[in-house]
Amino acid sequence: MQDLLSQEQIDHFKAKADAIAHPHELIVDVLRAVQDHHGWVPDAGVELVAATLGVTPVEVEELATFYDKIYRRPVGRRVIHLCDSICCWATGSEALAAHLQQRLGIAFGETTADGLFTLLPTCCLGACGDAPAMMIGLTTYGTLTPEKTDEILEQVRKEVGA
Amino acid sequence: MPKLTIDNREVTVPEGTNVLEAARGLGIVIPHFCYHEALGAVGACRLCAMTFAEGPVKGIQMACMVKAQDGMVVSTTDPAASELRAHVIEWLMMSHPHDCPVCDEGGECQLQDMTIAGGHGLRRYRGLKRTFVNQDLGPFIEHEMNRCITCYRCVRTYREYCGGTDFGAFGSRDRVFFGRFREGRLESPFSGNLVDVCPTGVFTDKTFRFKSRFWDLQEAPSIYPHCSLGCRTIPGGRYRELQRVRAGMNPETNGFFICDRGRFGSGYVNHPDRPRTARIDDQTASVADAIKAVRERVTTTIARYGPQSVAFLGSSRASFEANALLRQWAASCGAQMVLFEANQRRDLAARAVVARVADQASRLADVRDSDLIVLIGADPLAEAPVLALAIRQAARRQARVVVLDPRPVALPCRLTHLTQTPAQLVSVLEALRQDDFGSWPEAQQKTLKTVAKGLQEAERPVLIGGADLLGAEGVAALHDTAEHFATTDRSVGVMTLLAGPNSFGGAVLADSGPDFETLCDDLQEGHVKALVCLQSDPFREARDPAKSQVALGHLELLVSIDATPSLAAHRADIFLPARATVEMAGSYINNEGRLQAFLPVIDPGEPIRVSGQGDHPPREFSSTTPGSEPVADWQLLAGLLDAVPDLAAVREQIARNDPRFAGLVDLQAESEGQRLTLSTAVVPTLPKDPPETSAEGTLPLLPTTAFIGSDWLAHLSTALEPLRPEPQVWLHPEQASRLDLAHGDRVVLTTHLGHCHEGMSPGEMIVCRLEKERGR
Amino acid sequence: MSGYPQVLFKNRQPDGPVFRAAYEQAGGYQGLRKALQMSPGDLIDLVKKSGLRGRGGAGFITGLKWSFFPIDKPGEKYLVCNGDEMEPGTYKDRQLLLADPHQLVEGMIISAYALQAPVGYIFLRYAYETCSRNVERAIDEARNAGFLGTNILGSGFDCDLHVHRSAGRYILGEETALLNGLEGRRPNPRSKPPFPAQSGLFGKPTNVNNVETLANIPHIVVNGSEWFKDLALTVDGAGTKLFGLSGHLNRTACFELPLGVTLREVVEEHGGGMRQGKPFKACLPGGASTPYLTAEDLDVQLDFDPIERAKSRLGTAGVTAFDADTCMVAVTRNLTQFFARESCGWCTPCREGLQMVLWLLSRFEAGQGTETDLAMLKDQARNISGRAFCALAEGAMGPIQSLLERFEDEIKDHIRKGQCPFR
Repeated sequence: MQDLLSQEQIDHFKAKADAIAHPHELIVDVLRAVQDHHGWVPDAGVELVAATLGVTPVEVEELATFYDKIYRRPVGRRVIHLCDSICCWATGSEALAAHLQQRLGIAFGETTADGLFTLLPTCCLGACGDAPAMMIGLTTYGTLTPEKTDEILEQVRKEVGA
Repeated sequence: MPKLTIDNREVTVPEGTNVLEAARGLGIVIPHFCYHEALGAVGACRLCAMTFAEGPVKGIQMACMVKAQDGMVVSTTDPAASELRAHVIEWLMMSHPHDCPVCDEGGECQLQDMTIAGGHGLRRYRGLKRTFVNQDLGPFIEHEMNRCITCYRCVRTYREYCGGTDFGAFGSRDRVFFGRFREGRLESPFSGNLVDVCPTGVFTDKTFRFKSRFWDLQEAPSIYPHCSLGCRTIPGGRYRELQRVRAGMNPETNGFFICDRGRFGSGYVNHPDRPRTARIDDQTASVADAIKAVRERVTTTIARYGPQSVAFLGSSRASFEANALLRQWAASCGAQMVLFEANQRRDLAARAVVARVADQASRLADVRDSDLIVLIGADPLAEAPVLALAIRQAARRQARVVVLDPRPVALPCRLTHLTQTPAQLVSVLEALRQDDFGSWPEAQQKTLKTVAKGLQEAERPVLIGGADLLGAEGVAALHDTAEHFATTDRSVGVMTLLAGPNSFGGAVLADSGPDFETLCDDLQEGHVKALVCLQSDPFREARDPAKSQVALGHLELLVSIDATPSLAAHRADIFLPARATVEMAGSYINNEGRLQAFLPVIDPGEPIRVSGQGDHPPREFSSTTPGSEPVADWQLLAGLLDAVPDLAAVREQIARNDPRFAGLVDLQAESEGQRLTLSTAVVPTLPKDPPETSAEGTLPLLPTTAFIGSDWLAHLSTALEPLRPEPQVWLHPEQASRLDLAHGDRVVLTTHLGHCHEGMSPGEMIVCRLEKERGR
Repeated sequence: MSGYPQVLFKNRQPDGPVFRAAYEQAGGYQGLRKALQMSPGDLIDLVKKSGLRGRGGAGFITGLKWSFFPIDKPGEKYLVCNGDEMEPGTYKDRQLLLADPHQLVEGMIISAYALQAPVGYIFLRYAYETCSRNVERAIDEARNAGFLGTNILGSGFDCDLHVHRSAGRYILGEETALLNGLEGRRPNPRSKPPFPAQSGLFGKPTNVNNVETLANIPHIVVNGSEWFKDLALTVDGAGTKLFGLSGHLNRTACFELPLGVTLREVVEEHGGGMRQGKPFKACLPGGASTPYLTAEDLDVQLDFDPIERAKSRLGTAGVTAFDADTCMVAVTRNLTQFFARESCGWCTPCREGLQMVLWLLSRFEAGQGTETDLAMLKDQARNISGRAFCALAEGAMGPIQSLLERFEDEIKDHIRKGQCPFR
């Protein structure tokens, strides 16, 4: 349980759920908390969210599988979301996608062998003025070029300590 | 009442009717998927497009989402609307696997029908199809998601209508998946309704898998035989095997849905131990010879010991016609010992219901529409499952649900549970009338006061009682209470749960006749020498089986007419094989006094699957069908009475003898049935039900009913095995700790696995009445 | 910067957001003080008179929407800010919240007072974590200053605001889907009626407005409706607008410009012209759901009504420009892929129909399309438009319809050549 969410967080959300009339409104919050803590949301995470809020696992899973930023499968330590929507597409995201896949040695939906990066496509990140853009974790990077992307990957690698 | 024009034809419909229904009223059926009468309109499939030319809304609209209004002019044939309908079908078929040849839904598939009706005949999409991985949903439901058209009917039925919690819609866009969080058996006791509501083959009946094509299936309207509600079912069989049951529709009773006990509990029909051959003194005989032998021996007994030496025991499983003929037979013999229920308490409670039943008897439809439901000693999920569904529908419309019961009663909706001792069930009714709750714990007083107030103020209140726990005295108190709270503006409804599909019919016939205690006494004293059991089993059904068995030991002649491997059938001197409900026509009277007919679905006989020893076709041939001897119970009785063995003639004769049953003459199976008109002017004097006693220092045992395992016919249905609970005992935690027991402990009783539950009355030990071995 | 009056961006700094001190110094929270002296009814009238139209895409008149709100109905009522800015080409709310989060907070408090809806939710998309933090800090600061909480500035009005962080999905921008999302239900849109004003969040009266819409409120209260109307260059228009530029322009940034500037001015002056001097071919004038404008439309004034006359929509005013080397079939395929992927899966035309259209467009793009496919694309578009449950599929049809109207020759070119003519 502890590796999914800290006891303090569980207690915090339990108290919050008790205090409000509609504990369902916290499902996404707790799912995100589990993901922050564990990296992704395993089945046991869905069940933990349900137990914490007093709702059914089905009700949690219905949302966990709906939202694309909740990972229900294992991901690397950092998830790269490369925007493939129109503004980024118009400014070279397809070439960037090819570059990233080649540089990381993985296809979209895959995780690097060292478990560091998972590469996913995403819809528009709201960084259209800085296209092409990607988001790693919750940080958005814009005006990407292959060289700049490589630098960012290197920097993230250092941050994670890999 | 809005009046509108659809395809140049005027139609007037009740306020609130949607245009799709209004068109259906004119016989114009427009393809639709997500709309379902019981589930309502949600506008998801976008198929029922019509063009609105005049009125408050214009243009192409989804007819299910538009309420009919005065002056609307609507076209269903407008080319734009037709084109849209064809496109919607084209979209729905994009990823469909086209596996109709191996799909169990084939032939009764709404998607097949609507594809044709919607005008989509030519496939244009040649891209990749979306596919899913299916789940194992347990023994009843087969899952094939690739056939899904995402109409959301399943989740609306399972979650919203039935209150199930272990099923949902996952994912998004064109990858919405309907299933469970983890694989496993669907937990709702109404899971089988997924099969009926799914318009294609995503959810099919696993017990029926690959057995028959729909068009090869013999089907006919029937009645659910496992409780007293009289739910409409449509069983289907082939090659003399009852293969499946689906829900029939009766707006007065079950509406559209049935429970899993009814759907998957028909295995008794093809039970391998079912006695199919007549027997005289352990020798097989023809039915004709056996009838002759019964008549001779009964005549001999009467000649030797007098007419009171022969007793007749009908049952709630036998058709109403057979029970009525049994009474005639007794009368023709000059015998008075005729009764229709071996369980004393159930017998007297049912008779108390009949004595008091009047216009306030609630239909399931009334329960669905109620705004206050008070259950007293009633556990719907066990005793009458579809009632739990009806209560849920009322609760969804904000009805208040209060349960007064010694048991921890669960329902698929919000409820207030106030634990009562069994004895309090009667007195709490009186307290409600008196508005005096002084003898109740303080914690309950306030709630009970609000219940009394609610019974005064609610617009459509219903009191629901279980005959098993209430007994005759409680049933009378229930009716007293309803009458007490009735006003000139509105009555207070009453529904009583009885034991079997024809308990009410038997109780009408029993009137103020003798009871089972008297029969036992007469047996002990040697007055009764012969007993004819009509689909009844006093060895098992009596309230005190041990006492009953001793008394029955004095019999010189035991005759059994039965369709099941009962103890009576096994021990009978002469046995006559009867047909199961699905093998004959007849009628039952449900718990509200509704007379409903059923028709034969299949002919009796060993299924080819059995006679061919798993091989098909059988290698040995004979001119007769193996196991086809069983005869309709009323037909056997007609034979014993030497009457014409014709149902119409039998019904006419019953109606002639007793005008209360006039409705029998033109009773149709394809109907809502007919409520009996009973006079309550003369209340018959009923035998008294002896009170339960228990020795000082011991716990009174409260036998209760389980969803699966307590009902004889369901018990004989092997498909239901997975739902059968372990034998178990329930104790209040305080009581348990006094006995040094804890939740989950094994207890030395005749059962094990104790349960502690705060929702029950502290002074009892609750034990589920579960049938043991089959047949003997 | 642009030479036009800056209202929403007046506090915008190159190095990060302004918070309370700077915001108040620049006149912040004067609107709130003034509003609390007014009656809710007068405030609604003021907003109605100002001519403010919703900045989230649909352009409904804000004051009119407010006037439907049952402000006198007892019981819980909610104000919800829609910050699920996920339509490709749209990033103006993000710029606003990165620059000046107090503007939204003040706008929400005033609006909550006008609507007598004391509980507010600010719904922000997953990718806007920095914005969420900015807004949360602004809420804390406002609470500490007595602008939030009970008895605000002695007015007797109580109000509190909550931030909700979403987890992705464009459909949440549809207001009823957003309400389901806030409640923790599956974010399928709800059928209307009942409208949120009657039965919204948790079944209670709820008003949903866009970030930029709400941020305009304090300025209208302080400066009046006539001032606001005069900001626009069109006679019927009102206010400024945040224009987020993207695509093949030299300057792809977010500008606050008066409503009614011409497309030419946006492209040539603010956008600095097309990259590498290539000719302008087309643009999405207001996000991925708006029909294309072409070089013929460069003199169209960018305001709600003039753009509609040019058969497109102002939408969110996220202008994505494409140069002459761009394949419009490929652009439309990309846009359709977005909409198909972001469909919630509730209704058939959106869930399946968009997949069908995507398949057809991909065929054209790959040079596999035929005349039959073109006819099919037309009948698909005809039957999806106006037939879906909510506006998502309708939005997807915007570019597709205009592709068929304005670039049919380009599709035919793909068919004729058996490959994309731009490759």
